[in-house]
Amino acid sequence: MNRRVTRIDELARDIPPPRDLWPAIHAGITAAGTGVPQATRRRGAWLPAAGLAAGVALVAIGVLIGRNIAPQAAPVVTAAQPATDSGMVPAALRDAEYRKQRDHLLVEVQDRLQGMPEAEREKVSASLKTLQRSIQEIEAALGRDPANALLQELLVSSCQEEMRALTAVRDTGRQEI
Amino acid sequence: MKPDTVVEFDVALIERARRGDAKAFERLYRDHVGRVHGLCLRMTRNPDLAADCCQDAFIKAWKALPRFEARASFSTWLHRIAVNTVLEKRRSPSNSELAVEDPGEYQEPVLTFDTPVEEEELEAAIASLPQGARDALVLCGVYGYEHSEAASMLGIAVGTCKAQLHRARGLLKDRLERGVR
Repeated sequence: MNRRVTRIDELARDIPPPRDLWPAIHAGITAAGTGVPQATRRRGAWLPAAGLAAGVALVAIGVLIGRNIAPQAAPVVTAAQPATDSGMVPAALRDAEYRKQRDHLLVEVQDRLQGMPEAEREKVSASLKTLQRSIQEIEAALGRDPANALLQELLVSSCQEEMRALTAVRDTGRQEI
Repeated sequence: MKPDTVVEFDVALIERARRGDAKAFERLYRDHVGRVHGLCLRMTRNPDLAADCCQDAFIKAWKALPRFEARASFSTWLHRIAVNTVLEKRRSPSNSELAVEDPGEYQEPVLTFDTPVEEEELEAAIASLPQGARDALVLCGVYGYEHSEAASMLGIAVGTCKAQLHRARGLLKDRLERGVR
């Protein structure tokens, strides 16, 4: 039905295009690259190498979980681990176990934070939030580009950093007790 | 530009898109494409060319995102890119079609009609206007830009924009009275 108007600014401002332009735009921006600094984009050149590193690092996080996150032991990553670990836990299970451990650790850390002086609590909380934000950003990027080995590697190393930090916070409390 | 184009949610999406997040840029595209395409269509009068201009405008916007200042309205910035894209696509630029008249003479950009007009008829009348007059009418009349903003987008003097709008109003009324088609 044809609408009637009495003012020109009553005309619809939005007129959707007859077809979805996004696929062509997406192809265009992918081909053109982004406004993101060149250094960031050049990383793609060494993605195959990063893929290998990510594979090793993924095992490292499994080791970290397997050791029940010993606070003094930062996980050691060696190239031999993937080949010798024939009974490797499937990634999904490993991920579920990691999340379970992390959730448990977070509860302990929250308790520990409550007992800290305010200034110290704020400092520690801010650091943990920064780590968590980084992880969320990497996860979001991986959601868009799941095969990106560099991002996989970054995610694993960031998760390790977070676990180390959480463990350190928890154990600081234990030592004081 | 009217404040309805300022969407706080855009800020987060823009920030993500600036870091190379294509999904965030897609959201921006979905939110803004109707308005950008409407602007291109009214300026070009050609559906295929309008779609091309709209597409190019978003690609240019992606490339230019690092230079976008968060204080500005994303919508206005995007429209500026779209207008530039349309102007580039035209073989002969339409500016300076009219001599500059008294800039203070035409202050009311909103064009009203004594009797209601069918949208389709009005769109056809706008499409029939000369290029320069149509551009000024679309930007100021339909999209609510101030003369200074529209003039800046079109690369013409403010006085020229006002004169073009005045011309557009006269022609539009005349064509609506006569019946455009």
